Amino acid sequence: MGYTISEKILGRASTAGAPMRAGSAIEVKPDFVLGYDFPGYLDVMFRQLREELGCERVVEPERFGIFIDHMVPATTPAEEDFHAITRSWCRANHVRLHEREGIGHQVAAEAGYAVPGAFVVHFDGHVSQLGAFGTLAIGIHQQLLEAFARERITFTVPHTTRVNLRGRLQRGVMARDVFHHLVRVLGPRSCRFQVLELGGQALPTLSLEGRQTITGLAMFTGALSSICNPDQDALDYALPRALKQLEPVSSDEDANFAAVHDIDLSGLAPIVVVPPSPAATADLVDYLGLPVQAGYLGSCASGRLEDLRAAVLVLSGRKVSPGFALHVVPTSRAIMAQAAAEGLLTPLIEAGAFISSSSCDYCYGRIATMSAGQRAVSTGTLNVRGRMGSPDSEIYLCNAAAVAASAIEGRIADPRHYLP
Amino acid sequence: MSSELANLRGRIAYVIEAADFDVDQIIGVENIRLTDPDALAALAMRRYDPDFAALVKPGDMIACGENFGYGHPHFGPMIALRRLGIVAVLAESFATGYWREELAEGFPQIACPGVLGLVRRWDTVEVDWSAGVVRNLTRGGSLALQAYSAAERDMIRAGGLVPYLREKMRTP
Repeated sequence: MGYTISEKILGRASTAGAPMRAGSAIEVKPDFVLGYDFPGYLDVMFRQLREELGCERVVEPERFGIFIDHMVPATTPAEEDFHAITRSWCRANHVRLHEREGIGHQVAAEAGYAVPGAFVVHFDGHVSQLGAFGTLAIGIHQQLLEAFARERITFTVPHTTRVNLRGRLQRGVMARDVFHHLVRVLGPRSCRFQVLELGGQALPTLSLEGRQTITGLAMFTGALSSICNPDQDALDYALPRALKQLEPVSSDEDANFAAVHDIDLSGLAPIVVVPPSPAATADLVDYLGLPVQAGYLGSCASGRLEDLRAAVLVLSGRKVSPGFALHVVPTSRAIMAQAAAEGLLTPLIEAGAFISSSSCDYCYGRIATMSAGQRAVSTGTLNVRGRMGSPDSEIYLCNAAAVAASAIEGRIADPRHYLP
Repeated sequence: MSSELANLRGRIAYVIEAADFDVDQIIGVENIRLTDPDALAALAMRRYDPDFAALVKPGDMIACGENFGYGHPHFGPMIALRRLGIVAVLAESFATGYWREELAEGFPQIACPGVLGLVRRWDTVEVDWSAGVVRNLTRGGSLALQAYSAAERDMIRAGGLVPYLREKMRTP
């Protein structure tokens, strides 16, 4: 019986030093420990480390990476003071700080934390998107404190649900739709406490960006994380920038999976996830014409080059509907620079989009805040009540092309009517 | 080292049957930024039973459906329930992130497949850790609970992640 990629990664990083079966309780040393500053998270951990656990300094600071991507830019002196605490902690601990470089989960890939074969922890589950590169990255919530305080953490090796993708995506259908389709057919509990492993003939036909989108949203299937066996594209991206030398690993042919599903992509049509739950998937065509006042194209899930390119295809030479607020926020500074170099920003600006440097803040309504009764189409991560403003506003999640098409009409619209 | 947790005995103060339940609804999404436990407790379950805060007694538990805690749970709802004296949440199953966060808070979350069929509101139940069962003391019947890992059990016994780590780091 072979091993899954996750059993290999966790086993290698554990005291056993060899693959460990799902269900085993292990002591495992994360290759990287990541977090972002936000009230109630790192600030609390820094205080607990010092006052409750007597830890003044982290061990092996080169394993740590901290991001300032929320509350960017600051809007109050208190927020700026808050960032100052994080900066000062990083300086004192000799820990890398990535500030204003973009949304941390994307910057983590760009900066070389997404090492194929590495085990990475964060408190935030969207870090699972490093799985696009064969990295097992898990949002362990408050347990991240253990990774700051001790060299190893206690962890149970998770079981794996494997999804084999086949077929080709049709025009106007994007990686987001693949993920929302998985929630629709597998269900929001299908992968509870497990790793969602993606594979199959169609996986290499999805871009790395698309794989980041799918793996990054995995928590809404209940998954602890998500991972792809790294192909040449993933290795070509990840190895030259890797912050650590590790042997890439993949699942064995005869690995033991808790479940295996075959998903055909060729029949997929654009999906909309309606409020108030990330499990509430529907066909976009069933919601066409619903008036919307705002659109958000960005987030750690979407907002990458393929999303921007799709929006440009839809919006080039057209105008955003009068009164509609379209916010386009590239996921990182590097992506924004590339978008500028490719000429993707000008047509969006001319169409009437409001383009912002990268920040997490649009995704949770800290800026571009909706009032009661307003409705947004969004490529953000989540559509629960109040996520982007008033509890009486609504969020409809869809792909970037659908956000762009809806911006033109001021109603939920089908991107296939606008794509060449 | 298997010093078991102390058994729990109390009433089922409410049954939330819905699957994939978003716990923020317990206090209302408009209140998730509140932090004061008393203010939160006053709001708890009000939309489901306006008298909930008055009826619940220390030692009570709640029973819930599949994948309890799905979505983007905040801490306020369970702060509210604990303030009212709720000592455990029984459920058919739990959402991964919610489960991890509440165990780190030291709040027993007990997965017990079939529990919705075992209990009704105001039944008295017993959680017997060493036997690994939940018993309905009011109308009889029992079901297996899903055992904790050693680390989870130690975290609950210690009262949450921070005291658990303090103990762990004291013993090499």
